[in-house]
Amino acid sequence: MYFWGMKIINQQLMEKVLQFIANETKGECYRSFKFCHDTLAMPSIAYEDKPNEKINLKEYGETENSPLIRDLSKKIKQFEGTAPLFRYFLDGTRRTYKIDDIEYQKKVFPIIAGQIGVGCCERVNSSTFRKVELEHNLVLSLPSYAYADGHKPELFFNSLTDKINQISSLKRYNLNFSKILPYDSSKLPIGETYENKGIAKIQDEMIDCEKRIVAKLTSRNLLNQDNYLIKDGSLQYKPMKTGDFREISKIRNNYRCVIGISKQFNPELLKDKNDKSNASVIAHLPLFHRTPAFMYAPGEQFGDVKFAVWYVRIRDSKFTDTPFSGILKIEKMLMTGNESENGLETDEVDLISLNVIRERNPVCYGSDNRWANHLYPVYLTEKFIKSQYISDLHFLNLF
Amino acid sequence: MKVIGKVVATEKNPTTIDDFYFWTDKKRQLKPFDVIVVKHIEKSETYGVIEEISHITDAPSYLAGFISSDFGDVEHQPLTERIGMNYVKCRVVGNTKNIYTPVLDSSDVLLADEDQIKEALGLAEVKNPLPAGYIEMYEGENKKTIPVHFNSHFLIGPEGAHLNISGISGLASKTSYAMFLMKAIQDKYLKEESEESVAFVMLNVKGRDLLAVDELNSDKKEVENEIFPVYDLLGLEKKPFENVKYFYPYSKEIAPTTYAQVSDVKSQISRGNAFQYKYVFEDDRDSIDLLFSNVDDPNETMESIVNYISTGQGKFGNITSWEELKKALYEQTQTGNKDNSGKEITVLSWRKFYRLFNKSYEKNKSLFANRCCDQHEVRLKDQIQNIEKNDVFVIDIAKLDEETQGFVFGDVMRSIYDLKLGTTERTEKEIPSKIVIFIDELNKYASNEIPKNSPILKQLLDITERGRSLGIILFGAEQFISDIHKRVKGNCSTLAYGRTNVIEISKSDFQFVPHVYKSMLTRLKQGEYILQNPIFRSLINIKFPKPIYKQYKNG
Repeated sequence: MYFWGMKIINQQLMEKVLQFIANETKGECYRSFKFCHDTLAMPSIAYEDKPNEKINLKEYGETENSPLIRDLSKKIKQFEGTAPLFRYFLDGTRRTYKIDDIEYQKKVFPIIAGQIGVGCCERVNSSTFRKVELEHNLVLSLPSYAYADGHKPELFFNSLTDKINQISSLKRYNLNFSKILPYDSSKLPIGETYENKGIAKIQDEMIDCEKRIVAKLTSRNLLNQDNYLIKDGSLQYKPMKTGDFREISKIRNNYRCVIGISKQFNPELLKDKNDKSNASVIAHLPLFHRTPAFMYAPGEQFGDVKFAVWYVRIRDSKFTDTPFSGILKIEKMLMTGNESENGLETDEVDLISLNVIRERNPVCYGSDNRWANHLYPVYLTEKFIKSQYISDLHFLNLF
Repeated sequence: MKVIGKVVATEKNPTTIDDFYFWTDKKRQLKPFDVIVVKHIEKSETYGVIEEISHITDAPSYLAGFISSDFGDVEHQPLTERIGMNYVKCRVVGNTKNIYTPVLDSSDVLLADEDQIKEALGLAEVKNPLPAGYIEMYEGENKKTIPVHFNSHFLIGPEGAHLNISGISGLASKTSYAMFLMKAIQDKYLKEESEESVAFVMLNVKGRDLLAVDELNSDKKEVENEIFPVYDLLGLEKKPFENVKYFYPYSKEIAPTTYAQVSDVKSQISRGNAFQYKYVFEDDRDSIDLLFSNVDDPNETMESIVNYISTGQGKFGNITSWEELKKALYEQTQTGNKDNSGKEITVLSWRKFYRLFNKSYEKNKSLFANRCCDQHEVRLKDQIQNIEKNDVFVIDIAKLDEETQGFVFGDVMRSIYDLKLGTTERTEKEIPSKIVIFIDELNKYASNEIPKNSPILKQLLDITERGRSLGIILFGAEQFISDIHKRVKGNCSTLAYGRTNVIEISKSDFQFVPHVYKSMLTRLKQGEYILQNPIFRSLINIKFPKPIYKQYKNG
């Protein structure tokens, strides 16, 4: 009887949130199949990542301009027993769900919901790992068409968020949605879907959240030359139309002691003098070697920020699945005029690389297929954030 | 008290009425038998006893560990330790409001304070308290030492009686624990003025183990630093046994029948607290059967012969001494015997009987005497008939051969039985209401392999099954409890398990013992027991002090 009762309650809940949106936006819900977009992470080479951009060997991102790869294996021994450079680890994750389809004047749009988790953990000592910051937000992404008037849509969607949060069923579980993110519902170019647009909105929101947390860490004076932050993923933020931190030039100072480490990258981006792919240099990088750092300027729309980018191999290729497993792409924003001009000091690049190499163990072998490219503290941060998620079943049944 | 973790209920390991799991810091020191408290519904508290502690990390396989050491580099030290925690399995022993609902996920788990530990284990407000030892909980700054008391009614009757102590010799110190308990009992009855009274009969089966129980342990350091503090904790008198009488098997030179120093025995005799015991044919002819208790007698021929002799049939009517008995038996073994008496029993049986009797008789000729003449020469039966309250009788049988040891033990039990069944002229008030018999190596008399018609086994079964109401209490000890007759051990209300070996713990007697406790049993230190008693809600890992009485280092 008890379980039967639960089911009835869930049905009521389901009707309430979706029906509420339909009523408020004067649309019609289809009650389509609800599902979570696949979130299983697999090792892969991101060939399609920004195919038109390149990093040219000519532009060095460090003071020593040598085209040769650098061997760091001897230096590792010297650093043994010293305090690690990295103390903070940041990761952002999101999980998106297709909740329903909604019809507005014979046009059908998907409703996307998402859980966004962004967190930063601190390694106090080798055996103590703890939370510093955590944000867990529930968001919805609706077509911008859902707002019939078109005037000041943010006001409409903000008030809709407030109204949804008043629904008793959400209150009962002490849950609320932080935002409704409208996606552009104008006509689609070929190959694009509304669903992807909704997901992209949620992704942007996650990135904004990451920036917010870095800003918080900076304002708390936690980051300094002895206590760096590793951010999972690239630091090259796309220009965004919305968000508090959309202008990267305004927040660049927060990134003085932050490096971005990407597990997946497009090796084709590295070109030689003749503008031909130089991916094999990365693929053949020996253990504990790094490539020279290259200067990368994504352009004006990125706020004229320049980056030093280089690759480090932390695991022997004979133990890994693909030639690019075990290689990490490291990015650091260039801060001063001198840095933008001449790149980072080679010693600094070495120091960062060495400290990244020192983070190679333990591994998440067996728990994550990307183990060769994962750094354990980042992996732990990711696990911690995901542990805060509401279960998919519970989340889907809110609607 | 301190919160040390939280309950976890998972799909695979839900919390139940009987047990639950909680996580705790990987460096927190806990051990099996520690008591913890869980905050539960209705502001109640559930008590748990730790059974198993496991440490896990997020490594899904051993390979992850190997890879994390740079593919097998033992020198490698990672900057971050793998995330790990301990999870602990607990058995529920009770709830303050008798709530049976399993503890809930994420409930706080705390260390218990002294009162809570007592409450949890059933040690609070014990009626008729009798020191049983002490328990040690937790480690480091949280360490607690708590005295443990039995309810004496559940150890020496009338509610439950008999104690069985098992454990491998030397490491388990079985005798020491039995002696500690008997000392505590004597202490209690010496102090209290109650209608109940107690006396002890101990059999010394090994060296000089029990031959100086009224003298203080001669190792002063040990006494001051280790023994007295525990006696203070338990509120016991810091004295050895009182009212002790020693009984040595008779022999003129003393030494042939005892391991005790002749001078010691002589001085004890001169002080009036040692005696030499004898068996006089005319009074003890009925006990001959006890000499043959370990002899397989499927056709009951031995029994018929014993019966024949003790009823004085044939030639055995006029016999007055053991020597005459021997002679008469010898005549029965001769084929040319003209006399027809005893012919209903085959000559072969007579020969067997004669051989067995002669073996024991020749070895202990001095013990089987014609009469007692000196004041210190006594019959055990007479002495037991006159046992006084708080008396401690130590009967030395260590140097006797196995058959004779059995004979003496059987005779002692029989005498006590007779005393309690009122075949004496003493009034009931004079007789101690409880007599505790302590025998080590119980397996010699009550093992599974003892012939069913063994008179000693019958006597033991009688005591364990009916002794509780009569006030005859058996404290038995042996190496392996699995060897003991199930009716003997089954009737013991208190079982103490000392250190044992892996073969023993695989036997059915240990079926109910949780896995971790079993392996603990193979590692227990000297002076540690796992105790089972009806008033305790759980098995208890108990410690007790070394003997307060004098022990001889070389046995």
